[in-house]
Amino acid sequence: MDDDEEQPMSAAESLNLIARQDERTRRELGASPARLLGVWAFTWLVGWGLVFLADESHARPLMPGWVAGIVVAVLFVAAIVYSAYYGSRISRGIRGPSRRIGAMYGWSWMISFAALSLINISVMNAGRLDPHTISLLWSGTSLLLTGVMYLAGGMLWQDKLQYGFGVWIVVCGGASVLVGVPGNFLVLSLAGGGGFLVASLVYFVRERRGRPARETT
Amino acid sequence: MTEASLPELDPVIHAQARLRVTVALAGLHHGDQITFPRLQQLLDMTAGNLSTHLRKLEDAEYVEITKAYEHRTPVTLVKLTAKGRAAFESYTTALHRLLDATGGS
Repeated sequence: MDDDEEQPMSAAESLNLIARQDERTRRELGASPARLLGVWAFTWLVGWGLVFLADESHARPLMPGWVAGIVVAVLFVAAIVYSAYYGSRISRGIRGPSRRIGAMYGWSWMISFAALSLINISVMNAGRLDPHTISLLWSGTSLLLTGVMYLAGGMLWQDKLQYGFGVWIVVCGGASVLVGVPGNFLVLSLAGGGGFLVASLVYFVRERRGRPARETT
Repeated sequence: MTEASLPELDPVIHAQARLRVTVALAGLHHGDQITFPRLQQLLDMTAGNLSTHLRKLEDAEYVEITKAYEHRTPVTLVKLTAKGRAAFESYTTALHRLLDATGGS
């Protein structure tokens, strides 16, 4: 109604408009999970880093172990809440396959981690495990499951970066058991959290470049 | 300017508002639809303005508009048709050819 009377756009103006709207659409529809991965990088680096520094094997632990445990729990709850918010925000107003896939993927995390906790707690109780073995059980299995979820995400969204990240976290799961306690916390913090940080930065750089290749095809 | 030898730009798409609507819809995954309010938010357009442009895109069969009910609430769902996607692709190709022909100015 109104814009048909506007000045006609030049080809350059038109391409510029396409690039700007495309960038906005991608950002709002969650094509780049840089911020989400950044939140998880912070959670893992700081949370598990503190647990490592609080371990009794150190000459002077940074803080009592239970304090570090509470900090980890709070950070994880906050990160989970943020992830749920992020997921609901990007899928708002979208109907169809991608919303369904996103919801199924989100629930997969919840369901499989609930089952993992149940299994680990049962094993802990039945096996009368010592604290070291318990620590390795949790770090190994949770890294494995996290990695597998990213492998699945990589397959679902045909995202090689996400798949590669999944492979890295799965490898970290194996490594965390091999290095023992408290090295497993260092693996969680630096290798796991560091992995999240690298993935976040790669998505951030991609977002900045705005993938001009897509337009020229 | 040698206008005659240059490719014609699709007049349905070559208007600021409709171009932005097309770009936003092309950003959806295949098979996905978007609700009218979310599309409006992605574009910062008034409802009336967006409706007008959607109607023109619908008349050209570039856009498919579906009215549905969710929990007894009516929702308007919008998606780009295959024809619309193809039109957008040839539009961007034409833009690049124009830009090459005019030496990037």
